[in-house]
Amino acid sequence: MNRIATILVMIGWFLVSQSYSKSADDLAQVQLDSKKAGPRAVENLTERAIVRDYRSAWTSLSHALEFNVFDPIEGPFAGNAKQMLKGTIARQQESGLRQRFLDQNHKLEVVFYAPEGDVVELHDTAEYQQQILDGGKPIHDERVVLHYIVLMTPSADRWVIRQLQAVPQF
Amino acid sequence: MKFALPVILVVVLAVLMIVALTEAGSAHGTVGIAAGSATYGLTPKPSTPEQSLTDLLVEAQRRNWDQALSFVSNVSASSDKDSFIQDWTGSHGSLRSFSNLESFELRPLHVTNDEAQMRVHLRWTTPVGPIDDVRDFHLARKGDIWKTVWPKRQEPSVPAQVIPVTYLRWDLVSGGADDEWGSKNVDTPHVRIVSMNAVDTAEGAVVMGEVVNEDTIPAFVNVNATLLDGSGSAIDDESSFDKIAHILLPKQVTAYRIDFPAFHLKNVKNVHMDVKATLVPASADPVIGVMNQKIDPDVQGKSVLRGELFNQSGQTVNIPHIVASFYDNNGQVVWVADGYVEQALLPQTSALFSVEFPKTLAAKVQNFHVVVNQYSPGRS
Amino acid sequence: MRPWLICAAVCLAEACGAQNVEVRVSFPVVAGNGATVSTSGSGKAIFYLVGPGVSSKNEIKLGEEIQLRTRDTQNAGAYQAIVCSERCASATFYVSAANPASLTFLVHPSRVPVSQNDAVSGVAFPFDQFHNFILTPLSIEFRLTAGSAALMTQAVRTRAGVAWFRTTSGKSAGALRVVAALDNLSAQRVVQQVAADPCNLRIAGQRNRSGILVQTEPVRDCAGNPVPDGTIVTFTAADANGKSTVDAPIKQGVARVEIAASGGASISVASGVVMGNEIHIGAQP
Repeated sequence: MNRIATILVMIGWFLVSQSYSKSADDLAQVQLDSKKAGPRAVENLTERAIVRDYRSAWTSLSHALEFNVFDPIEGPFAGNAKQMLKGTIARQQESGLRQRFLDQNHKLEVVFYAPEGDVVELHDTAEYQQQILDGGKPIHDERVVLHYIVLMTPSADRWVIRQLQAVPQF
Repeated sequence: MKFALPVILVVVLAVLMIVALTEAGSAHGTVGIAAGSATYGLTPKPSTPEQSLTDLLVEAQRRNWDQALSFVSNVSASSDKDSFIQDWTGSHGSLRSFSNLESFELRPLHVTNDEAQMRVHLRWTTPVGPIDDVRDFHLARKGDIWKTVWPKRQEPSVPAQVIPVTYLRWDLVSGGADDEWGSKNVDTPHVRIVSMNAVDTAEGAVVMGEVVNEDTIPAFVNVNATLLDGSGSAIDDESSFDKIAHILLPKQVTAYRIDFPAFHLKNVKNVHMDVKATLVPASADPVIGVMNQKIDPDVQGKSVLRGELFNQSGQTVNIPHIVASFYDNNGQVVWVADGYVEQALLPQTSALFSVEFPKTLAAKVQNFHVVVNQYSPGRS
Repeated sequence: MRPWLICAAVCLAEACGAQNVEVRVSFPVVAGNGATVSTSGSGKAIFYLVGPGVSSKNEIKLGEEIQLRTRDTQNAGAYQAIVCSERCASATFYVSAANPASLTFLVHPSRVPVSQNDAVSGVAFPFDQFHNFILTPLSIEFRLTAGSAALMTQAVRTRAGVAWFRTTSGKSAGALRVVAALDNLSAQRVVQQVAADPCNLRIAGQRNRSGILVQTEPVRDCAGNPVPDGTIVTFTAADANGKSTVDAPIKQGVARVEIAASGGASISVASGVVMGNEIHIGAQP
């Protein structure tokens, strides 16, 4: 009887952990439109890779800024974007603030794809619930729509974000 | 219920013990145990050529050189012992130096009262996989004991000399981690697959062809292939592994072969090829000539391409590797074979090589081309 | 540069006897210039500033202006200025990039055969001193020179912050300097133009004491550029003993080998996928 109960608990834990990790991935919905890309057309495989890696980057960014940890942003970000995020996390650690980005929806448009395929510029119309917390106390909770200019470059095994800059409009 | 696990464990243990005991008698392929001789040490003096040669090979396998020499008639402990040992263990960092004799099989070719000719199939375990070698031994009877007449090997004599190295060398500088974006741009070498041929064999599907380094710098090259079915889904993907000369100097061409064991082309609608090239430091030295290449059958009747490698440089090539491509009369690659030379290539000396190819293709082969790869520890 | 016209003034207080706190930010805010945040009301409150690279928390007095330091507004992007007393009020504002201070310049390839159409391309991005991406249209001039010869000069206006060009490689092997210039800023890259495939590959041979010495003529491409040293030339000799091949690298413009053959031999040459001529050398007398 004890054994059966143990097995049931293990199965239950497994299912819960799967659903928990799934919800982290489901956090960011990403769609990509490459009709206006130029001078180079975006290949199908590249489109899929960019969507996958952009989603993964925002999931990592959300985790990093919610828990004030550096590790999640090491892989998906490079250059200025990484430096900026590291600065944000460091300042948040000092001030005790945290940010949450919930229920994210990103509509990406490729506006430039270099002739050699080594850099892509995207416009991201990002909609999400932004929460800012001081310790555990929410001080700001708002559904926002922001416009991001994004520069991504291919690295060894993925596309990384080099520049992530919000602008009032495209 | 609570005794179920212990009972299961005991039953499994008993089964494994029975299997081990029943398999102990057939020592074929077991390291250190010669076929049919599980209780060596208690056997009588070698009164037959088979027994004598078996004893010699077992001692050589165990590296008991003094014991092994006692079964050889023309090599004593005082003379040529080093040469005898080197013949087995290799030298100059050759492939043989890293190999072990795993097993052997012998059969008599010709036996009289006083002389015998025995053919031995030797199987070596090496860092590059198993290597089979076939050697003929001559034995002679002295009194009532048979001993092997060891063929004296001529060590290549390399006179002392100074050979200037004037060939080009390419070094690779990686750049710092802080280099600004866009400033450290060195493109990967441009290589191109120039031919591809997919065939079915008894062992499975094979994809082969040739690839050229079209760039002006050396490239480390690997070729991968993915078999796709009618819906475009991948059935299997494999790499050329070592059936390719990995380091290609500018404008150098190598053959490649990719094996798909247990897959056949009848289910394959497309083959997706992918060649990966990376920057690598390299040297144009040593230059190795491939001389006197010929196709003829070996002692076992197999079709082989044999020839001689000549090291034109002043440095030792520890482990030469040959990649040979075979063409039909249309110039299409019909087979790619590779092989290693177990002895090191000393400067200004040559060594024989042979690579086998399927007998069924012998009639089709009109031409061939050999590329030499080489591995030398601690050197790029 | 057009000023950014954004200033969001938000009033979030509910009617429960709590005072209405308003937060306003001066505009436009340019990176590195600082900004002023004004608040209404009285009493103590906590001021939060959250944005790219910024996260701070300070006690303030309501009704007084808060000066944001240059350090707090050096990253371009969206910021939240939040004031909390009994309730919280916030304002969203944007910081725009400052004047150009650097150019990121990507050029491909690093090596290119001569006379190839559309073989060389470059992409330039302007950034300010804080590494903010500048999106306002700017004119960037691309200049290509090989030695002292100017091959191309082209002015391109940035669109979405990017300017790019594509052109044919030059006719002569050597270093091709590629410069992107914006006012007094510039970034330079070098592309190595290399010889194309060997052309008219020819060999000559003669017998000597040890065998046959075979040598190529100086190996050049069709434009006359010498093929670089180290390029492999494959010599193949067929004689009575079989076939012999040697992959020899070019040294000082030529490749040479010595083939041991006492009998007559036919010798051919190839480099990459280019074939050369075939010669026949008679047996040793």
